[in-house]
Amino acid sequence: MLGGGMVIGIIAILHVFVSHFAVGGGLFLPLTERKAYRENNPALLEYVKSHSEFFVLVVLVFGAVSGVGIWWSIGLVNPEATATLIHVFVWGWAIEWVFFIVEIAAAFIYYYGWDRLDPKTHLLVGWIYFGAAWASLLVINGILAFMLTPGRWIEAQTFVSAYFNPGMLPSLVVRTAVCIALAGVYALITSSAVGDVALRNEVARYAAKWLLLGVSIIPLAGVWYISTLPGMAREISMGAAPAVTIFAGLSIFLSALVVAFTYFGPYQRPRYFSIAFAFLLASLALSTTGVTEWVREAVRKPYIIYDYMYTNSMRVADVDRVREEGVLKSARWVRQHDVDLNAPERTGDEVFRVECASCHTVDGYNSIRYAVKGWSWAMIDYQLVHLNELKGFMPPFVGTEVERKALGAWLASLNPLPATIAIEPEASAAESQSKEAAGEGARQP
Amino acid sequence: MNPVIPAPVPVPLPAPAWLLEFLLVFTFILHLLAMDFLLGGVIILSVSSYLGRRDSRHREFTRRVSRAMPSIAAFTITLGVAPLLFLQLVYGQLFYASSALMAWYWLAVVFLVLLGYYGVYWYQMQHDELGPKALWVILAAAVLFIHVAFIFTQNMTAMLHPQDFYDLFVRGQVGTILGLVAPLNIIRLAHFVVAAIALAGLGVTLLSHCWRTESSELAEWGRRYGVTWFMGGTVVQFLVGLWFLFSLPVEVRQALVGDKLVVGILVSAFILALLALLSAPKSLTASSVAILGTISMMAVVRHFVRSASLRPYFDPHSLPVQGQWEVFCIFVVLLLAGLGTVGWMLYVFFRPGATRGASTYSPS
Repeated sequence: MLGGGMVIGIIAILHVFVSHFAVGGGLFLPLTERKAYRENNPALLEYVKSHSEFFVLVVLVFGAVSGVGIWWSIGLVNPEATATLIHVFVWGWAIEWVFFIVEIAAAFIYYYGWDRLDPKTHLLVGWIYFGAAWASLLVINGILAFMLTPGRWIEAQTFVSAYFNPGMLPSLVVRTAVCIALAGVYALITSSAVGDVALRNEVARYAAKWLLLGVSIIPLAGVWYISTLPGMAREISMGAAPAVTIFAGLSIFLSALVVAFTYFGPYQRPRYFSIAFAFLLASLALSTTGVTEWVREAVRKPYIIYDYMYTNSMRVADVDRVREEGVLKSARWVRQHDVDLNAPERTGDEVFRVECASCHTVDGYNSIRYAVKGWSWAMIDYQLVHLNELKGFMPPFVGTEVERKALGAWLASLNPLPATIAIEPEASAAESQSKEAAGEGARQP
Repeated sequence: MNPVIPAPVPVPLPAPAWLLEFLLVFTFILHLLAMDFLLGGVIILSVSSYLGRRDSRHREFTRRVSRAMPSIAAFTITLGVAPLLFLQLVYGQLFYASSALMAWYWLAVVFLVLLGYYGVYWYQMQHDELGPKALWVILAAAVLFIHVAFIFTQNMTAMLHPQDFYDLFVRGQVGTILGLVAPLNIIRLAHFVVAAIALAGLGVTLLSHCWRTESSELAEWGRRYGVTWFMGGTVVQFLVGLWFLFSLPVEVRQALVGDKLVVGILVSAFILALLALLSAPKSLTASSVAILGTISMMAVVRHFVRSASLRPYFDPHSLPVQGQWEVFCIFVVLLLAGLGTVGWMLYVFFRPGATRGASTYSPS
């Protein structure tokens, strides 16, 4: 029922929501700790201490494990693309790994060091944490942006051309802004649990400022980012694919809601701010993260690595060869390498698994049975021939004509059309019945 | 039907295979040290939590050891990232195929680790509040982590048998195929779990050593208790290790025994393990150094087993290479700088005399 994309999506959205907090929260902690020292405010310092425990429990456990979860899921769903990325970026990931080690060591020493380190050293450890966390974002952001805007890499095939791709810098600014905003969201959650009313009001207002600052950077940086996207990706988000356009609009709407709730809530009236309100804001922010990441993934269609590999792991460079050889002959994990002309729909099932199943399930997420409901065989075949022209977000069908027809036969068999009924007057119906009976009789030896 | 051996992606390796294999084995040893301490640690803590219902020394022991576990869990996961990265680079096509065959179990690792990890935190943070129930929390974490170990040994063994992939794929329900390499993987699991218990025994011995200024009696008790686990685990390992060696496919074992270098490493690893065993009651340092040598050598032997198993189907040294040396150099420089930074942070954390904590700061 769950398509591979759905599994990746669920894990990835939760990870994005926590990992950006891992960076933004890493800035929030030392800055707020410094503020507490400067204002000689022990109550605020006590709050930072409790926030650091929450931070460790969320970031070091869920953040780290869900990050590994993304690896697990992309390797299962898109091994070809994952392997390609690892070949291009292994040293990038190795560098990110070094930053992870520093990050984790610093987080623990910061958390356990409240009573062991003097303030100056403790703050320094906090800054080391933030430096390493942001540096890990710097690395992974280049790799993520590469998938949508690989730029010169398609020809140059070098690490530098891949990493310094057109989308890398604007995407870094957007993500850094998201980190700051999410630091505010999480701080609102912990601030709402503060017992002392004066402190709670102060921290809620302070956290709201973080959220508003982060969100205020996003629109401009976002426009810059969108300007670097391939033309088709922009079209998909702005009307060519209605679902994507709706989600893009929803992303803006939800962001506006978050801003409005934050401004009129904890920023202007911190007195009325509560735990329930904080969780409402957090779930709105999570929804915004979810739809935005979904749109970012969706506009990359029909590619998984733009201009290089389609979402179904077919390399653009291999299309002509596979058209000639046939997709079943060139695929490894199939039960039949030739179309069974006596039962084409059985082979069609195989073609579906190889070419379509990375995005579609039969009955679950992005159900193919639903997508072709009511279509005649001729309609299905026409769609398959012109797939990438009719649906810009889908890769072309690649395979021989026989394979295409087998796939069509299988797709048509998913929703058997009702038998055609001829409506005739009652008398003639009776007549035709007797004719039929006579015919039956005549055919018998 | 001829077996279908998955093919590597048509992108050149960013460094020669020998360097990637070296990094794979080296970072795996680092992961192994943390993982052994975590897995063996939760098993030892489970036993001690049970005994701690009647014995206050065990209670004090579990309270103190539990404080170390969350950070060990964090490092187990993080140190595991690098070897998995290099494994995917060098043997990706085989690893992805074997993972896909057992996809749902493989994916379950993420959730099992998450639950086990929170269990370890729960146990540490609520150690006294939980009382006798603490046993169930840490036992659950132990069971979860043993399952993770099982799924890992299963996949790491399965990826060495690409000749069986296609048959399994044709016959089975992809995503739920587990029984590929039984009983070899069960013996391999036993080999790893016993190693983890022995190493964690040594780990808690080292931890107990740090308690000597606060309570010399508990430190001495902890030392003897940890050494018992270490020695017991090591003795059992001599048997399990031999059993594992003789369960390997004949051609793999022959390839190993026929290679003088491998035999030399195996014999040295055995002698070092024996030295570690004998020196454990007297010198912790000597025992630790010797067992570190054993673990490193066994990781190398493990790599030879992998190469020997895959030789008929795949040789990473034949892959095209296009070195990304400039980025590799940045990695090495950053690694050294990163380790230096971690070293400095550990130094300031553990140095004696840091009495005025940040949380009680007052400028007056």
